[in-house]
Amino acid sequence: MKLSVGIANLILGSVYMSYGVMTLLDLKRGWKTRGFSHFGAAWVAMAFTCGPHHLEHGLHVLSSGRAAGPLDLVTVLVGFPAGIIWFLLRVEALSGGRGDRFISGTPRWLVAAAYVAPLYLAATTVAAITILAQGSYFTPRMTPNVLLLAVYALVGYYLLRTQLENRPEAGGWSVSGLSLSVVFPTCGLMHITFPIYAATGRYDVEWHGLLIDWLAVPAAIYFVWVVRALYLGNLNDWNERQPQVPAEPAMAR
Amino acid sequence: MTWPIGRNRRSSSREVEVDSTAVRVVAASRLAVAVIVAALGSFLPHITGQRAAVFFLIDLAWVPWAAVVLFASERAGSQLARVGGPIGDLAVLATAQILFTRADVPQVNAAILPGYVVVVVFAVYTLNRSLAAGVGVASIALPTFAQRLFPPAHRLGAAVLTPYALSVVVLLLLIERTTRLQTRAASRYALLSTKADTILNHIADAVLVTDRRGTILQSNPALARIVGRGDETLTGHSCEELLDLHCGERRLDCSAGCALLRPDLTDETGLGVEVWRTGLTGERQPLLGSATRVDSDEGSVEVVHSIRDITRLKQAEEAKTLFLATASHELKTPLTVINGFADTLAHYEELDKDLRSAALDAIRGRAVELTRIVDRLLLSSRIEAGRMHLTCREIEVGPVISSRAASFGAATGREIVATLDGLPTALANEDALITVIDHLIDNAVKYSPGGEPVEVCAAADDEYVRVDVTDHGIGMDAEQAAHCFDKFWQAESTDVRRFGGTGIGLYIVQSLIEAMDGKASVRSERGAGSSFTVRLPRPRQPEPAEAAPPAEGEATSIREFMRQIGVPERRA
Repeated sequence: MKLSVGIANLILGSVYMSYGVMTLLDLKRGWKTRGFSHFGAAWVAMAFTCGPHHLEHGLHVLSSGRAAGPLDLVTVLVGFPAGIIWFLLRVEALSGGRGDRFISGTPRWLVAAAYVAPLYLAATTVAAITILAQGSYFTPRMTPNVLLLAVYALVGYYLLRTQLENRPEAGGWSVSGLSLSVVFPTCGLMHITFPIYAATGRYDVEWHGLLIDWLAVPAAIYFVWVVRALYLGNLNDWNERQPQVPAEPAMAR
Repeated sequence: MTWPIGRNRRSSSREVEVDSTAVRVVAASRLAVAVIVAALGSFLPHITGQRAAVFFLIDLAWVPWAAVVLFASERAGSQLARVGGPIGDLAVLATAQILFTRADVPQVNAAILPGYVVVVVFAVYTLNRSLAAGVGVASIALPTFAQRLFPPAHRLGAAVLTPYALSVVVLLLLIERTTRLQTRAASRYALLSTKADTILNHIADAVLVTDRRGTILQSNPALARIVGRGDETLTGHSCEELLDLHCGERRLDCSAGCALLRPDLTDETGLGVEVWRTGLTGERQPLLGSATRVDSDEGSVEVVHSIRDITRLKQAEEAKTLFLATASHELKTPLTVINGFADTLAHYEELDKDLRSAALDAIRGRAVELTRIVDRLLLSSRIEAGRMHLTCREIEVGPVISSRAASFGAATGREIVATLDGLPTALANEDALITVIDHLIDNAVKYSPGGEPVEVCAAADDEYVRVDVTDHGIGMDAEQAAHCFDKFWQAESTDVRRFGGTGIGLYIVQSLIEAMDGKASVRSERGAGSSFTVRLPRPRQPEPAEAAPPAEGEATSIREFMRQIGVPERRA
C-alpha cells in the first residue's frame, strides 16, 4: 500500500506539474495575441501548488517513512483516471489534435457513475469519521487542506453545472469537461485525507508541506475569484473573441 | 439633453457615494491579511486550547468569510461586501481578543485595539454615515464589554480605553467629513467636466484656447473639422498659421497678440466678426470669429477663441437668391402663356372653334406644368421641414419602371430603353418610387438635348435592388457631380435659362431614396452623359447563426478549461 500511495501521488503530482507547464506554454504563446490571462495564471498557480503537494506527500511516503493510509490510496485511485484522461487530452491538443471526445446521449455507465458518486462520497465520509473516532487531535496546521477541499469542490460544482447546462443542446457529454469535473472534487477529497490522517498522528505536518498548502489556498481562491469575475464580465481575458477580419472603415455618405 | 444635476445633488448630500474600487481593495487586503495571519499561526509550535481556537476561527471562519466578501465585492454596490466585511472583522477581533486574553496572552488585549481602528477607518471610507457610526460604536463597545470577561488583572483601565474611544470618535468624524467633502467635490468636478467635455465635443463651433503667443493649448473636434485635419490633435500648433484668417482683403496679424481681441475687430453684439480663410479646395471659407481674454490668478494669460463655419449659411443665402430667380422664371413662363391665351380668348370672341380649342389646350398644358412645379416645391418644403414619413413595403420594382418609361416615351416622343433582369422585390414606398423614377427620367431627357436615347436598367445584388438611369447628354464634371444632389443647385447658372427647372429635382430624389433607407449616387463625364443610380434595400433575410469561435484557440488548455467551466464568450 505504501508503494502504491507513494507512486500514485508522485504520478499525480507530476501530471499536475505538467498541466502547469502546458498552461505556461499556452500563456506564453497567447500572450502576444490575446494579452495576459488571469485565468491561465490562476490555473498555473493551482497546478504548481497542488502538484508539489502530491509530490511532497509521495516522497515522504516513499522515503521518509510516512505510513500511507488506505483512505489515501482510495481517494488517489478514484481521481487518478479522470486526471490522466484530462492530461492525455491536453497533450493531444498541444500536439495539434482535437483535445476532446464526445459521448453521444447518456450511456448507462455514465448514469451508474452519477449514482455511485454520492455513494463514494458517503463511504469516504464514514471512513473518515471512523478513522477520526479512533482518537484524533486537531491543530491549525490541518486547516489549509480543509479550505482546499471547499474551494476545489466549488470549482467542481462550477464545472459540473456547465456540463449539465451544455448537455441538452449538445445532445451528449464532453469527455474533457466530464474528466475535469471529476478531477476537482476527487482532488479535494485527496487533500482532506491528509488532515484526517494527520489528526490521528499517522501523518506528520512538516513545515515545507504546510508552506505548499498555505500557498495553495490563495492560489485556489484566486482561481475562483477569476472565474467569478469572468462570469460577471469584470475582467478581460481570453474569453473575449478576437475579431476574425479587420473592421471595415465607416462608409462616407 | 437633460442633465441629471438635481438627482446627483440630492444623493451626494444624503450619503457618501461608495467607492467600489476601495471596497474591492479593502476586501482583497482583508483576505490577504487573513491568509497571512492564518498561515503564520499554523507555523507556531505547540498551539493548543484557546490559542488554537483563535487560529481555527481565523482559518475556518475569517478566511472563508473574507473570500466570500471579496467575491461579493465584484458586484458593484454589493451590501454584503460593504457591510459584511467590517462586521466579520469586528467579530473576529472581539473573539480573538477574548480567547487570547483568556488563554493567558494578556498583551493581545491592548495590541488588538489598533485592529479595531483600522476597521473603523476602512468602514468610514466605504460605508454611509449611519453604518460607519454603527461600526464605530461597535468598535468601542466590543472591547469595552470584553473587559468584563477577563480576569481583573488583565483588564484594560480607563486610562487606555478612554483615549482609544476618543480616537475612534475623532477619526470617525474627521474621515467621514473629509471623505464627504472629497466625494462631493469629485462628484461636482466630474459632473462639470463631463458637461463641459460633452458640450465642447458636440458643438459645431470650434473652440480653442491659446496662450499669450498664440500656441494652441486646447481645442475641440470641431476645429479639426473646420480646418480639414480629421481627428488630428492640434495642440501645440500656432493658431495664426493654422487658421490664417483674413478680414476683408487684409490678413489678420497676431504677432502682437490675438487680432480678434483688437477693438476694431471686436463685435459689440458678441456674435463675432466675419472673417475668412482659404479652404482645402482653395475657395474662401467664411467664418465668424470671436475671442475672449482669460487672466489666471498666477498671472498667465489665455485666449479662448470661438470660430463658426458659416459656409453653408452663405451657400444657403446664395442658393435661395438663385432659387427666387429660378422659381420666378419658371413660374412666369407658363403664367405668361396662360395670360396671353386668356387675353386672346377674352378679346377675340369671333375665334373659330379650332383656334379656341388650341388656346384652351395651351392654357391647360401650362396649368399642368405650373401644378407640377408647385408640387415639387411643396414636396421639397415637406422634406425640409422633416414631415416626410414613408411607409415601405415589399413592392415589385420592374412594373413601376416599365410603366413610367413607357409613359415618358409616349409623352415626350423620346426613346426610353428599359432593361429589367428578373427583379426581386424591394422595400419601398410605391408613390415615392414613381416620383424618383419620373424625376430621373425627366432629368435625363432634359439634359440630353440632342435627342439621344435614355436607358433605364435595373438589377439586384444580395442587399439592394439597383436602378440606373443613364443619358448620353451634356454630362457634368467631378465638382458638379459632387454637388448635384444639393438643394437649388444647377450645374451652371446658364442652365437655368437653357434647360429651365428649379434645381430641386435631384434633391427630392436623394431625400426620398434616403427616407426609404436606400442610396443615391451619380457617375458623370462632361460631354458624355450621366448615370444616376438609386439602390433600394431588399427585404431582410433571417440572420445566419453566429459563427463558431475560432478553432485555433479551442485546442489550448486555457481556452478549453474556460469553455468547460462555462466562462461566457464575449466580443473583444
